[in-house]
Amino acid sequence: MAEEILLADDFVRQLMSVGEVDILVGIPSFNNAATIGRTVLAVEQSFQQGFARQRVALVNADGGSEDGTREVVMSTRADKSSTVGGRGLTSLRTEQRVVTQYGNEPSAGLALRTILAAADLLRAKACAVISPATSNLTTAWITNLLEPIYRDNFDFVAPLYNRHKYDGLLARNLLYPMSRSVFGHGIRELHPSELGFSGRLASHCLGQNVWHQEDIQDAPEIWMALTAISSDFRCCQAFLGTKERAAAGTGPDIVTAVRQNVGSLFWCLDTQENYWLQRAQPEALRSFGPESDLTCEPMNLNRQRIYELFRSGVQDLGPILQSILAAETMGEIQRVAAQDEEKCRFSGELWARTLFEFAASHRHAVLNRDHMIQALVPLYRGRIYSFLVEHQDSTAKEMEADTENLCVEFEKQRPYLVERWKA
Amino acid sequence: MKVMILQGLSQAYDNLVHMIAIFVPRFAVMLIIVVVGWLVALVLRYVFRAILHVSRLDRISEEAGASQVLRKAALPSISELLSRALFWVVWLGFMVLGVSVLGIPELHEQIARVFQLLPQIFIAILILFFGVLASNFLSRAALLASVNAGHRSPRVWSASIRFVILILAFSMALEQIGLANQTVISAFSIVFGTAMLALAIAFGLGGRHLARHALEQYFGSRKTEPDKGEEPSPL
Amino acid sequence: MAADIQPLWYKDAIIYQLHVRTFCDSNNDGIGDFTGLLQKLDYLQELGINTIWLLPFFPSPLRDDGYDIADYTAVHPNYGTLEEFRAFLNAAHDRGIRIVIELVANHTSDQHPWFQEARSSTDNPKRDWYVWSDTDNRYREVRIIFIDTELSNWAWDPVSKSYYWHRFFSHQPDLNWDNPAVFAAMWGVMKFWLDIGVDGFRLDAIPYLIEREGTNGENLPETHAILREIRRLLDKEYPGKMLLAEANQWPADVRAYFGDGDEFHMAFHFPLMPRMFMAVRLEDRKPIIEILEQTPEIPESCQWCIFLRNHDELTLEMVTDIERDYMYDEYAKDKQMRINLGIRRRLAPMMENDRRRIELLTGMLMSMPGTPIIYYGDEIGMGDNVYLGDRNGVRTPMQWNGGWNAGFSGADPERLYSAVISNPVYGYAAINVESQRRTQHSLLAWMKQIIHVRDSTNIFSRGSIEFLRPSNHRVLAYVRCHEDKQVLVVNNLSSTAQAVELDLQSYKGSIPIEMFGGNLFPRIGDASYLLTLAPYQFFWFRLRRI
Repeated sequence: MAEEILLADDFVRQLMSVGEVDILVGIPSFNNAATIGRTVLAVEQSFQQGFARQRVALVNADGGSEDGTREVVMSTRADKSSTVGGRGLTSLRTEQRVVTQYGNEPSAGLALRTILAAADLLRAKACAVISPATSNLTTAWITNLLEPIYRDNFDFVAPLYNRHKYDGLLARNLLYPMSRSVFGHGIRELHPSELGFSGRLASHCLGQNVWHQEDIQDAPEIWMALTAISSDFRCCQAFLGTKERAAAGTGPDIVTAVRQNVGSLFWCLDTQENYWLQRAQPEALRSFGPESDLTCEPMNLNRQRIYELFRSGVQDLGPILQSILAAETMGEIQRVAAQDEEKCRFSGELWARTLFEFAASHRHAVLNRDHMIQALVPLYRGRIYSFLVEHQDSTAKEMEADTENLCVEFEKQRPYLVERWKA
Repeated sequence: MKVMILQGLSQAYDNLVHMIAIFVPRFAVMLIIVVVGWLVALVLRYVFRAILHVSRLDRISEEAGASQVLRKAALPSISELLSRALFWVVWLGFMVLGVSVLGIPELHEQIARVFQLLPQIFIAILILFFGVLASNFLSRAALLASVNAGHRSPRVWSASIRFVILILAFSMALEQIGLANQTVISAFSIVFGTAMLALAIAFGLGGRHLARHALEQYFGSRKTEPDKGEEPSPL
Repeated sequence: MAADIQPLWYKDAIIYQLHVRTFCDSNNDGIGDFTGLLQKLDYLQELGINTIWLLPFFPSPLRDDGYDIADYTAVHPNYGTLEEFRAFLNAAHDRGIRIVIELVANHTSDQHPWFQEARSSTDNPKRDWYVWSDTDNRYREVRIIFIDTELSNWAWDPVSKSYYWHRFFSHQPDLNWDNPAVFAAMWGVMKFWLDIGVDGFRLDAIPYLIEREGTNGENLPETHAILREIRRLLDKEYPGKMLLAEANQWPADVRAYFGDGDEFHMAFHFPLMPRMFMAVRLEDRKPIIEILEQTPEIPESCQWCIFLRNHDELTLEMVTDIERDYMYDEYAKDKQMRINLGIRRRLAPMMENDRRRIELLTGMLMSMPGTPIIYYGDEIGMGDNVYLGDRNGVRTPMQWNGGWNAGFSGADPERLYSAVISNPVYGYAAINVESQRRTQHSLLAWMKQIIHVRDSTNIFSRGSIEFLRPSNHRVLAYVRCHEDKQVLVVNNLSSTAQAVELDLQSYKGSIPIEMFGGNLFPRIGDASYLLTLAPYQFFWFRLRRI
């Protein structure tokens, strides 16, 4: 069977001209003309400030923008009067900028694959992926992602952010504790919009036969992070800055987020079971930069709706949940759902058990996998409701302590997952 | 008279013997064909089951929810079912061949007619089967989507979809085997069309505020009313 | 030669820079002299150069390698007599080689009689020939050039009990060019040498002639006025002679020294030189293109002088801090190699004795716009000795053969003005003229060839330049055009083989003819012209429409 052609001829031609690089920064885009110019300038500035002597390239992988995004990338140039010595002399080396359209529709998986392919062909030593939509991106973000790789030989750098205490709850309550307990290394931001990786890891990931899998198309970063861990690459985290809050209604909704992220996570559990079933003791990941912090400014949340969706979800999806969960777990969830709003608490212990049973049922495909993950959503809402109620007055420190306790609970129940997994 | 009776009896006896003499070998051949056919069908069943096992049909069926349906109906797994079906089809084919050797044309004709109908029956069963699968899958998908979206009465949506698809599948199955084609098609059209019309009227007139709200929610932002607050961002 | 006036001869010159002290010692006193230099004129003629630029050979205490002049109109006894100089000059002219000498106009040695008089008393008529002050607070905005050795531009004179101004070493007091007497005296010096027959002057340190309060003391309008006057007199009384400016400035600032064709004929393009070295190390054409794009147009009668190395340190004054750090880290890891704001190494050691890189850089030197200067010894790949003081490591004796003192002198080795380079890689046993003359493919043979090829056309010396910008940034490609002739130059700056597609649409229909071998290459058509180059390889193609 003929191998699928991945890269467009024009893209290959551009890569030929670039040759070999030390540093590569990839920007996946789709209709980001309004913001990508700023991102490009920040990247170029980070090159000049942090990597003036290195061979650098910026690669834009675009999903078929129709608002001129690619043209903005090619045409954005720094103001010469601000350049070194004020004589119009910029960096030591030619600024390499490569733009390609990988398809007619945006796909996170294809975008990442394109950037990995560029990194592999250009033999880049250190790479980073930057979101074109981050409006508070600074040059420090980019250098903080690249330096652990370029100078300290790490292979994967996940970001750490200052966040609002109610942001990123999927990561805090599900992705982080689950991946930490199962894979042994805790990555706080398992589905980040900025990340760093080495050329070695890029080549390794590119060579895996996974890029046609639907399960990872929307959240390939999760797969990449867990692959880095399970393939013994050196991983770390680096503090970048404050993660901007998405404007209400602009980010992905809960259902989509759960489907994409949990689907990807569960798929990784399935395909990388050889690693995590055998793994040794958990290890903390090295972190660069200051500790991340939580901000606690007030937020207007509709807790009542979350509670109602949880209750009605448990009721209406009863038969489906019964085919996924153990009877005891189901019974306990139903008892929690039957409680009043004030008393309803979805404990960490129950949550861990629920997730592990879901993971095992996903593995055994007791029913359609995507349906299974959708069935998790009301339970996730229940957990979030409980979390919001418990932490409405918590400080950042208290929330972090609670997260740590949750992780410990997951780790305590890990043998239960293994047992159900192998059943 | 006595002689005539004796002659008649003797003639009849001779005929009987003659018929038996002709029939028995044919019967023996038929038996051999049937036994051979049984063996061939058995081998094919095992081979087919092995092929289906390699193709992981059972797993796909689990995911599609078909296995559950079969278990509820106390039926074996799909690969077992299909391999048994193959067994019977092959063996029945050999049986027909065997019966044809007997040389009884009327019997042969009836059996042929039944066999002509078999493919249609098989297809109708397939249509029903996939219809049930589809109704299960889609009704469950609808249930999940409407539960997670917070719609009222998600089970109504789910059940409606299941009902519609089952009716469609059933009608198609009956049409396939040619039973009361016109009646079935007309009945289906009337029921289906009436149901849709009723829904449209109920939704558009009786629930026009709900309709407007639902459309606004679908095509507009996902904000809830500002004073009730937002859902925290998961990512 | 004097009758043979070709007004723009300097544009077609290929200049060979040397110090008479380093070249050949005829009287075995360990120091090169003019008689010895005369004996080597055949070698220079064979090499193909047509102009010699002599470093200062005047009487001097030699505390700055002769740039501290004690007598402008004589020859230092170490190097011979004025008669011997005349003989050498005439012999050079007979071989079609012009001679350019130094005019150190900005300062003298403190041993010069002028300064001795000036310092003797405040009433002395020559007092005002130098710049004096009671305090060292004047001209505070002026930078110090020799930062490794000097702490101030003012020095205290214990004899006259006042400060005198010096932009270079403290034993080199600056002349006061505001004084017409100084102008007249220096013009007298020039006339002296012009009357003997020299063909031009390299004016040393000319940006610093005039100083004014509140300025940086460089490139002032008054300085240009002086230089214009010198030029006017020169053109009037000695047509066909050349003035070459040593102004280590950004190209835009050097432009002023050409005036409207009424100041200098030529000026060094200092900022280009380090960028050529940088480009080869970076394997990126950007530094070269960037600086040449910033280089302004100059009058038609004027010409840039370009070079790779010279007697001074490879100056890094006209580069950015990032570039300077890069050059230090790449070319002068050992701090012993650094002096002032530069690198005191020769071409071959900087290229790690890589013949390909030496040829590439020389090829660029010979094909870029400007008059090329070859520093003595670079044609055979001589090495350096960074452990000699000051910049003496690049001023060691010429290596003629593998014998006694490298054939430079018959004196005892201990008597030589400087030890000969003797290490196994660059020593005279390995690197010398005699052994390279015997091999057809030596660096010396190659240098002769490239000089010959360059000299075979005036496209390089007179033509314009148009940069091509192929997408492969490791290839520097340009077209030189003069009248209706074109030469395509393609340089691979990289250590690996490269493919490059050139947009030569404007030259469609032309046949590229490789200039060293004379072989035809495929005709230029509609499509991009594909070339493949070996590491550090370059091509020169004459484009012929035929």
